[in-house]
Amino acid sequence: MAGTGSSEIVHSTAAQYAPYILLLPMLAFPVILFLGKMYNGNKMWKETLKEGGLIALAVMGASLALSLWLISDFIGAYGGVEKLSDWTWFTSSMWNSGVVTTEITFGFGVHIDHITVMLLFIASFLCLLINTFAIGYMNTDPINDNRNHRFYAEFVLFCSGMLGMVLADSFLWLFIFWELMGLCSYLLIGFYYERPSAAYAAKKAFLTTRVGDVFLMVGLAVLWDLFGSLDYAVVFNEYNIDKVAASNPGTLAWALGLMFIGAVGKSAQFPLHVWLPDAMEGPTPVSALIHAATMVNAGLYLVARMFPFFGAESMHGELADLAFIIAAIGGTTAVMAAAIAFVQHDLKKVLAYSTMSQLAYIFTGLGAALYLANTLHWHEYLVDGTKNPDYYVNHAIVIVAFGAALFHLFNHAMAKGMLFMASGAVIHEVHHAHHHLHPHDDDHGHHEEDPEELLMLANYLADTGQSVFGFFNSIDLDQSGEIDTYEFQTALKKADIADLPPWDMQRLMKALDMDGNGRINVPELELTLGRVHLASLAGDDDHHDHHHEFDAQSMENMGGLASKMPLTATAMLVGSLSIMGFPLIGGFWSKEGIIANTWRVALEDPRFFYPALCVLLGAGMTGFYMSRMWLKTFAGSPKTDVAAHVHPTNTWIKTPLFILTFVSLAGVIFASMGFTHWAPDIEYGLMSDHGGLWGGFLYEMEHVFANEKVFFFILTYIALFIGAVVGPGLALSLYGGKLDDGEEAKPWFGPVLALNAAIKGRYHWDNSAFGKSGFATALENRLYFDHYYDMAMLKIVAAFSNKAAEADSSVIDGTVKTVERTSQQLSTSIRSLTTGSARDYILMAALGTLVLFGLIWGVVA
Amino acid sequence: MEKIEPFGEGFVLALAPEFVLVIGLFTLMIVPNLGDAKFRIPMTQVRIPWFLGGKRGKLDSDPRLPGLFATAFFSLAFVLTAMSFVNGMNRIQIVSGDNVMLQVDEFSRMFELIFFGALALASAASVNRIPATSRNDRSASGLYNNRRQVDFYVLLITSGLGMAVVALAQDLFLLFIGLELASFSTYVLVAFLKESKEGTEAGMKYFIVGSVASGVGLYGLSLLYLWSGSLQFSELATAFAENGMESLPLIALGMLLVGFGFKVSAAPFHFAAPDAYAGATAPVAGVLATASKAMGVLGLLRVLLVVASPEATDGAAVWLVALAVLSVVTMTWGNLAALGSTNPKRMLAYSSVAHAGYMMAAIAAIGALNWETDHVDLSNDAALVVVTALIFHLTVLVCFKLGAFLVLSLLESEKGGHTLESLGGLAKRDPFLAVAMFIFMMSLAGVPPLSGFVSKLLVIMGIVKVALLDVTVNSDLSLADLHWVWYLALAMVINSAISVFYYLRVGLVMYFHEPEEGREGPLPAGGPVRLAILACLVTTVFFGVGAGQLIALAESAANALVGAW
Repeated sequence: MAGTGSSEIVHSTAAQYAPYILLLPMLAFPVILFLGKMYNGNKMWKETLKEGGLIALAVMGASLALSLWLISDFIGAYGGVEKLSDWTWFTSSMWNSGVVTTEITFGFGVHIDHITVMLLFIASFLCLLINTFAIGYMNTDPINDNRNHRFYAEFVLFCSGMLGMVLADSFLWLFIFWELMGLCSYLLIGFYYERPSAAYAAKKAFLTTRVGDVFLMVGLAVLWDLFGSLDYAVVFNEYNIDKVAASNPGTLAWALGLMFIGAVGKSAQFPLHVWLPDAMEGPTPVSALIHAATMVNAGLYLVARMFPFFGAESMHGELADLAFIIAAIGGTTAVMAAAIAFVQHDLKKVLAYSTMSQLAYIFTGLGAALYLANTLHWHEYLVDGTKNPDYYVNHAIVIVAFGAALFHLFNHAMAKGMLFMASGAVIHEVHHAHHHLHPHDDDHGHHEEDPEELLMLANYLADTGQSVFGFFNSIDLDQSGEIDTYEFQTALKKADIADLPPWDMQRLMKALDMDGNGRINVPELELTLGRVHLASLAGDDDHHDHHHEFDAQSMENMGGLASKMPLTATAMLVGSLSIMGFPLIGGFWSKEGIIANTWRVALEDPRFFYPALCVLLGAGMTGFYMSRMWLKTFAGSPKTDVAAHVHPTNTWIKTPLFILTFVSLAGVIFASMGFTHWAPDIEYGLMSDHGGLWGGFLYEMEHVFANEKVFFFILTYIALFIGAVVGPGLALSLYGGKLDDGEEAKPWFGPVLALNAAIKGRYHWDNSAFGKSGFATALENRLYFDHYYDMAMLKIVAAFSNKAAEADSSVIDGTVKTVERTSQQLSTSIRSLTTGSARDYILMAALGTLVLFGLIWGVVA
Repeated sequence: MEKIEPFGEGFVLALAPEFVLVIGLFTLMIVPNLGDAKFRIPMTQVRIPWFLGGKRGKLDSDPRLPGLFATAFFSLAFVLTAMSFVNGMNRIQIVSGDNVMLQVDEFSRMFELIFFGALALASAASVNRIPATSRNDRSASGLYNNRRQVDFYVLLITSGLGMAVVALAQDLFLLFIGLELASFSTYVLVAFLKESKEGTEAGMKYFIVGSVASGVGLYGLSLLYLWSGSLQFSELATAFAENGMESLPLIALGMLLVGFGFKVSAAPFHFAAPDAYAGATAPVAGVLATASKAMGVLGLLRVLLVVASPEATDGAAVWLVALAVLSVVTMTWGNLAALGSTNPKRMLAYSSVAHAGYMMAAIAAIGALNWETDHVDLSNDAALVVVTALIFHLTVLVCFKLGAFLVLSLLESEKGGHTLESLGGLAKRDPFLAVAMFIFMMSLAGVPPLSGFVSKLLVIMGIVKVALLDVTVNSDLSLADLHWVWYLALAMVINSAISVFYYLRVGLVMYFHEPEEGREGPLPAGGPVRLAILACLVTTVFFGVGAGQLIALAESAANALVGAW
């Protein structure tokens, strides 16, 4: 949506091509899908074009090139807002409300400012790398054969959703692309839809984020009502904000709060975080895409986009509470997710919780920055037009606070993208090694296994204490001694096991019906159910192992991989260090900034002590779980024979890891370039100049390690101690150990492994007591959030929806059915007038003529 | 405005697209007859090559030749028409003495674009689709086939010429002649499949009812002539403004309404239309639903807005109530009847009746405008918006309605397309056709961002604009303040909601029903048809997403009409 004029609009050549950044992937979506359908199984399509992977790679490459052009153009030539509203659909004044009185134009425009540029780079860069990774990951797994085109098609659509959301010039388009991403996340998480767990995870992700989306939609509606437009040009216009602030600042706060709930859902923050760990059911490239490049960043982007409201002088102090809520939600999630990550065995789940925790850092940082922007007088001129005496100091504070959050977004995206891809490489290779060693129980094989439904049925009977015979009698309605499919289905529905997922009757019947006569009798049921129940009891001690499958994602099956996959281990190490905030690497620069700024606010407003303590504690926890993950995977001796036979991975997978390792290592360069001062507002230049790269480096070093303010000086070292010494130290003493004899590791692992071996050998700590404690169990069960959510769903929502369904079928459906029946009857009687005889037609025409004359005559007379 | 006498300087250039069609007509008649015939001068042995007849070559006896020729000539005419928009339209009048006969302006050219575009697509889709009766003698069969094709396309071209005359005419009599030329061609086209009983019967009925309607219209015409002594639009408009409330012109107006009502298939003059659509081949039915309908609307616009101009009467136009009632009855009738139709062609026919209702509602809204002196500017603006919406609607209708008929024509070539169930499983049999058909249906139902949505939105917005014209801005709005034409928009919305039911049902059948027995295999290839469908598909989407340009074009056309009042 492009709208009413704004003064600081600039058009540049690069901006003219900006729409193609999202259009190219969007157009690639149908192309890949159709070609994939048409040439499914074709050798050229499969091997040369990688089932569409190369098409996707080409468009993502083009998107990145265009993005880089746009960004360099933006940074080099002009630091203000660029806008392109070339494409207009239509214009109308019919929907005017709020402060807008001119005509509203519907169309698509591109809005480019500092925040856009940052997110645009992250999204387009990581999408390309993940695409490269995916070619190496997806196309080498036989389970994906002949359906990778679906993956790539949905992948590019997802990317175009993110790119569109970042580039859009109005909240309406933001919302549209936001929802497009929601759809694609559903499709991609459920890529292996034949697995019930994947289908369930996809639904969960879609519905949980949808809860937030509803609030976002309401928030946008309120915003529309206030401003009469959702265009950035209108809503960010200072004059308009002043007008709204003068009349109803409280409503604006509510609108932003509701929008924030949408961000909470999308970025998986407490209490809408439950979808994210399950989203690991999707293929690993999807995890990387969701967790690094796109979806979770969307929520952060939305909150960052709200900055002009917080920064407006006329809203001074009005939004401080909202800023606190944002920071508090962030702080809570940071600690909670980190704690859950302590006990996860699944490699990808650790990363999932880590994502949640790190996003929470960014939210806390944004909360602090927004608080500062809202409570400090940081504009050059005050409301009354006089020069602001504190302008220079306050402005720097706000910019640094905002910059820290945005820079952490950047660092986290790069590191987490790499971590996910590295974990994918590990899983991929472990899986292949397993496949190589144990071809007979390939977990994707076609051996007959008991359907899950059967197990549920068996468990249900065991739980309720019913005998098989009693159960059979209760469902054998006609007492014939045998039940057929239909009877069985009805009976199961009637029996009180409706909370179990939908039954695949065909599979169930097939498993139960031993003699193949299409009906089940008591012995059949008894034999099968008894067998299944026994089998399930035997396997109960390991909940991963119902089907006696090898879990390629569990860290319990890894260990000692550092010598076998050196590049992956290095990437993982660098990524982990970046996430931990290890000095000088990637995330360090931004994390320190977030902690410092949260504490800065805490000194002003005691409420902020809560998030401030959370982020400080979280730093240590991050150090622990990230170290634990690396050590369990790569250090020590292999825990299974599979892990001992892992081989290095292929080039498609290695390339992005290699690139991202350097990006994460180069954090210090980005910091020196002034990324820590990423300005939220167009009033200021993009990069603050501290005398070139070297000057910037010195400035940053001094700022971080030798801060002149005593408080921050001490704080830095406390944070460093907790995050880089205590947390990792604990992990080093508990996990990992020396590599097996004869295993050569790269020299740079030497210090880590030696330290690990030394500490572990010295302390011999045993945490099995903790592992058995109730708290650990609670953490393993994700603090029972899912459980209580499910309960609430079942008790409240399901009951309500049952009532609603009743009302639906009798009232709404009833009405619709009546309308339909009546119109069909009308249709029949009307069509019966078309007799097929020309005589009747002429008669009707004559009648019509008479009526016409009557009407004209009526008017005249 | 430039004035040119017939066959005066610049005459041929001014009417270049029409002359292309005339040339096409003769080419079609001559080329397939060329052979090695020789003429022997009597009493001698001298044989002079004569070429007409004899043994024909391989190329000119190809049954696809006439279709390709016709497509080429229609396309050429289309391109020439479109070219006249480039660099600004050169408005030209063809005059004979003081009488203006034809007028070339944006309005007429826009309608010609619609006509030629629809006919080009239809003729492309008909290439090699007219079945010939098989005869034992293969060469005779070939000849028969080829000649038959020629007949078909000659009729298409004459109907195109008739439509062009309607678009250009500045004289009611000329307009009527064009109308009849086009109508008679379509009567024969409907009955063209003489092997099928339905075809001949439908053509016959269409002809009879059409003749009655034409007769009534012609009678109205003669009354008008009796009353004013001229059939020139300009003179009729002046006469109407002076004493249009006399009974003679009003009776004539009513009769003309009947004549044009049949052409746009307004209820209750539409009865023959569903039969005709169902009996004709699908491309012909498509032409009836788009180009022929546009011709009827064009006639209505000329008669109601130019001749019996609402401007002439203070307050509402005299035909306002009649047209409003007719439009509501038509749209409701069409939609209700379509609801129960199981023959997709009949369903589309009824849907086209409903569309006629929408368009008449738009015209009626113009009749409600207030033309007092202090209102003229506002009213002009509003009228411009409505006429723009109408032209836009007629244009995009060619994209998706004709497109839908073309999809059916492919089914027809395997003896399907007469029952909804013959579309069953189309998604599996031919995904491209299913997707295309689904998008056409969505567009007909008015789903954004397709062109059908934009056109409906424009029409509704136009009507609402008219209704709101007298309401002062920013006051509390109550329905009583609105002009009652607002209810026309409401009726349109309700009717659109009803229509979604039967449009979606097509999608349901295509995607969720199994193919009928004996129809499991792939559909016949048919390159030209598919190309035409693709063109329809692309434009359906493009004119929705990028509606701006077409709206601008339609607005320039509307300006030529409204500005000339």
